[in-house]
Amino acid sequence: MKIRFILNGETKVIDVEADRRVIDVIREDLGLTGTKEACGRGECGSCTILVDGSPKLSCLMLAAQLEGREIITIEGIKKDSDMHPIQEAFIKHGAVQCGFCTPGMVLVSFDLLKRNKKPSRDEIREAISGNLCRCTGYQKIVDAIEAAAKREL
Amino acid sequence: MKLDRKIVEIGRIIPRIDAFNKVRGLEKYASDYHSKDMIWVGVKRAGIPHARLKKIKIDKAKHLKGVIDVLTHKDVKGTNRQGVVRKDQPVLVDDKIRYAGDAVALVLAKDKKVLMHALSLIAIDYEPLPLIFDAEKAINDKKNLVHEDNPDGNVLLHGKIETGKGNKAFSECDLVVEASFEVPYQEHAYLETEAGWAILDSDGMLTITVSTQTPFRDRSEVAEALGLDIKKVRIIAPYCGGAFGGKDGITVQTLLGLAALTVPGKPVKIWLNREESFISSVKRHQARLYYKLGAKKDGKLHALDVRFFYDTGPYDHLGGVVMALGLEHSGGPYHIPNTNLKGWVVYTNNPIGGAFRAFGVPQVTFAMEQMVDMVAKRLNLSPLEIRLRNVIKKGDKIPIGTTMLSSTGITDCLNILKQHPLWKERERWKRDAPIFKKRGVGIASIMHAMGYGPVVPDYANAKIELTEDGKFRIFCGVVDMGQGNINSYMQIAANILNQDIDNIELILPDTEKTLSSGSSSASRTTYTFGNALIDASKTLKEYILNRVADLIMAKSIDEFTMVPGKIIHLPTGKSFLLKEITKFLNDSERIVTKHYRAPVSKELVSIDERLRLHGIPHLIFSFVSHLAYVEIDELTGEVEVKKYLSITDSGKIINPQILEQQIHGAIAQGLGYAIYEDFVVEDGKAKTLDFSTYIIPTAMDLPDIESINVELHESSGPFGMKGAGEINTNGPLPAVANGVADALDIRIFRSPLTGERILMALKEKKEMSN
Amino acid sequence: MRKLFLPKSLDELWEILSKDPDISIYAGGTDFLVKMQKGIINPSSIVCIERIDELKGIREDNDKIWIGACTTHTELLSNHIIKENFPVLLKAIKVLGSPLIRNMGTIGGNICTASPAGDTLPPLYILDAELEICTKDSLSIVAIKDFITGPGKTSLKKGQILKGIFIRKNNNYTIHHYEKVGQRKALSIAIVSMAALLKVSSNGDIEDARLSWGSVAPMVIRSNNVEDFLKGKKFSIETLKALKSIVEKEVSPIDDIRATALYRKLVASNLVLRLIKYEI
Repeated sequence: MKIRFILNGETKVIDVEADRRVIDVIREDLGLTGTKEACGRGECGSCTILVDGSPKLSCLMLAAQLEGREIITIEGIKKDSDMHPIQEAFIKHGAVQCGFCTPGMVLVSFDLLKRNKKPSRDEIREAISGNLCRCTGYQKIVDAIEAAAKREL
Repeated sequence: MKLDRKIVEIGRIIPRIDAFNKVRGLEKYASDYHSKDMIWVGVKRAGIPHARLKKIKIDKAKHLKGVIDVLTHKDVKGTNRQGVVRKDQPVLVDDKIRYAGDAVALVLAKDKKVLMHALSLIAIDYEPLPLIFDAEKAINDKKNLVHEDNPDGNVLLHGKIETGKGNKAFSECDLVVEASFEVPYQEHAYLETEAGWAILDSDGMLTITVSTQTPFRDRSEVAEALGLDIKKVRIIAPYCGGAFGGKDGITVQTLLGLAALTVPGKPVKIWLNREESFISSVKRHQARLYYKLGAKKDGKLHALDVRFFYDTGPYDHLGGVVMALGLEHSGGPYHIPNTNLKGWVVYTNNPIGGAFRAFGVPQVTFAMEQMVDMVAKRLNLSPLEIRLRNVIKKGDKIPIGTTMLSSTGITDCLNILKQHPLWKERERWKRDAPIFKKRGVGIASIMHAMGYGPVVPDYANAKIELTEDGKFRIFCGVVDMGQGNINSYMQIAANILNQDIDNIELILPDTEKTLSSGSSSASRTTYTFGNALIDASKTLKEYILNRVADLIMAKSIDEFTMVPGKIIHLPTGKSFLLKEITKFLNDSERIVTKHYRAPVSKELVSIDERLRLHGIPHLIFSFVSHLAYVEIDELTGEVEVKKYLSITDSGKIINPQILEQQIHGAIAQGLGYAIYEDFVVEDGKAKTLDFSTYIIPTAMDLPDIESINVELHESSGPFGMKGAGEINTNGPLPAVANGVADALDIRIFRSPLTGERILMALKEKKEMSN
Repeated sequence: MRKLFLPKSLDELWEILSKDPDISIYAGGTDFLVKMQKGIINPSSIVCIERIDELKGIREDNDKIWIGACTTHTELLSNHIIKENFPVLLKAIKVLGSPLIRNMGTIGGNICTASPAGDTLPPLYILDAELEICTKDSLSIVAIKDFITGPGKTSLKKGQILKGIFIRKNNNYTIHHYEKVGQRKALSIAIVSMAALLKVSSNGDIEDARLSWGSVAPMVIRSNNVEDFLKGKKFSIETLKALKSIVEKEVSPIDDIRATALYRKLVASNLVLRLIKYEI
């Protein structure tokens, strides 16, 4: 099946099986391995992508659902410079350990700060509650998002 | 983002260098390797816990379109056995199935769909055997055995230590408390499940890129199990997407090797899904523990009797070593003059018990720290006071009878806790509990050993090079599974060489490029490799400065200093670019390797040779005190940790942020273990096979943690540091359990402390009092 | 490879359904695709209805509110009509799954999945939600309690879809309560959930009461015994304590991997005490 969509600002036309998982399309067919898979059941958030701006689980989407959508993956989040301020805050505040949850965390933070310019720590915790992290205990991730918010993105 | 151009200093936060790629999704993990011509490899698991293998029917799978090959034990040319201590685990089952996760056959297919289909077509003929599922009972079972060839039946290792008058001392005690405890398996739940990529090239070199903590040990194991020359096996270890002990040893390495040998020149890939990872991977040992603790009226602990049983499942993995470390820590950080400590680690048909951050210590700590509180309560002492009266000081004997000789900050940890507002204001906080809530405050004090122990060499080989571009390249021999040790290596070398991080390059562990330096485990990675690297960096600096001094006929190298990219001759102010100087050095000056071996305990008292081989006694320990504010919902029994305090003595600090990451992460895993995580196994079959049944904490389930450091100088450590990766895992379970007891006057003897367990205990208490 | 359709209108959907009556339908995919990937279901053809605008949105319709079946939980959370009229539903959706699940999952999906643990179901039962069931040529209205016929079972037949949900506005209630007890605070599946709507007069009399429980029976429990008991009583801790034994009789939970039946029973009855926090 031919599918046309925008990926990180670029129009893509791909020919794939309609029921192929979106995460496999992104990682295997298009080679963007920043999107991670850690459960395949929607229970961890590692595979988060932005679909028309909204964070979604690419392990629970099928290729046909990409049609006409605008997709942003972790590789496409930066603007002009090489890094988005959220990414800089993650580095600066020690929010990254093994890094496997990081792409998903960055993308849901991006969405949060778009909707809520000054989230409280509880609101941040709630916003990232669909993204499991096994390394950090989340505190430094919350610190990073809080700091990124204060820089008024 | 701009890098900080300052000269790297010790004790300063240097943003983690690995984070730059990780936040952009650019870091390539083992699971990210992919190519169009690659072959997917999958494992047929036994699915039954104990049986004699009769026949593996692979024909249907083999003839499926898209299947390249199906392999069984008959295709394994080597010993077909792997393991760290006892080599008792088959690569592919050849005689017996010993747990449901056993690998029986391997399928190579062109895509994942075909692979899954083919795996479903393989049938196993077997003769079921009686199930061995209770470690304590299995000890005396001489008829049903997991390994018929094990000289001790189902006992993998038994350890016993007696000090002082042993159990006779209980008659001298004014009070004796007894209790038994149970803890379930804990699953590592690293986000990156077991994954790897392998290829056999035309020179016969087998290269395996894999998510592992132990590349050099893996190389030996793969070579031996598959019958290969070790020189023909190369292991590359990228950053892991988490490991925590679960990748300390073989996961998919040998299977990958076997598959790659079948299809020369073609890359093969294995990436376990979450369910298969949960079924097959090692866990923290489930355990049953019996404790008896006696004290004098003045609150001095006097006698301790411990018996515990660790369930190691079907294979050794590191079970014996885990049990030994548990035994060493079974009496906590206390001076108890008379002890009788016995531990068993036992084969069963349950999932494999193995290495997991803190390695056998959280189980005994759950028991011991509650015992101490129970004694305190009987004596009407505060939990803090009884600890202050009993914790070891430098030079004291620890419960196994050896002498504490490392820096010993546990008293400092407790004194800081004593002065902390969270301790001082606890009664008021408890009184302010809202309706239907009860509040309690629990504490724990912990010690945790570092390194491999007295026999197995705890060594590292650091290599550093002044490159032809005038930069410094560190060849890291120890894996970074997420803990940031490689950043600390960079910080150590850059500090000694007065460089900024831009002038440092890192080579990640690779058996062809870097040097054997042991595992990423045992809170030893920064200590051991760091010490080797300090030596290597200083030596390289000396070579470089000697070369410059000779070139310009300076009196001594003391006249020079290094700055980023340059050397300055201080008397004249002249500077020399490193990229120029490097041309004057030959390879044996530019490249320095140094070996370091950690010091070990020389005491031979009380510990038998077999236990020594399994790693005790240790020489160097870190310490923590923990405090938890817990709130229990009386309607549901649910526990919430509202505040958490950790005070750590892990020596001097190289990078405060990385240390705090370790403290937070360990406490998070500890709180998961305390309240949520319960890997359920029934009749040898795991029941919690996804993240909706195996519950790890989300961001909404954990409190903000306050951490304070006691920076005692550990004279043997690099820049005065000692191990910090594991110790904080131990505190949360007992601290929470003690907090629950404080709030409800109920002791919970089985973890985790779920709402159900607590509500049922409340109900029982109510019924008893009626 | 299985066939997959992505209709943009109901007309397109009807055509697909007429050609392939056995086709499986999904919206957000958060339940359906998990089952498919686990191999619990293996449909040969599927249709994703997320693009059908006629199935989306929230509208006032005289004394009722209409919610399109394919409206996502996130859309409901940020909608002022829902916020004003159905706080109990809002409270339930707030703790459903995770933000990511709520961005994808739909209210219609939650209803059709018909899990005893479905978070929107206890509120929808006490709100007397009515479901708009359509075929190409017909439209019928079914009460939610008649629509869900068992765990995972509904009365939906081949060729039918759930188009929307009608809920009557009712500003009478003074207490709008939902509580879920799960194994953790997010990404959790209800061990017990309870929804409650109470009308308490200014002098403290309970004039109306509606309560329902999830995860304590094959389907959501709503009981006349419970509601009748409360009506006319004083809103007090004594009344709520007296209600506990009635609740225990009404629920019939089971043991599963998350909790035992006994625990569920205890918690289901204990949770009524929580209502006292609304005491004025």
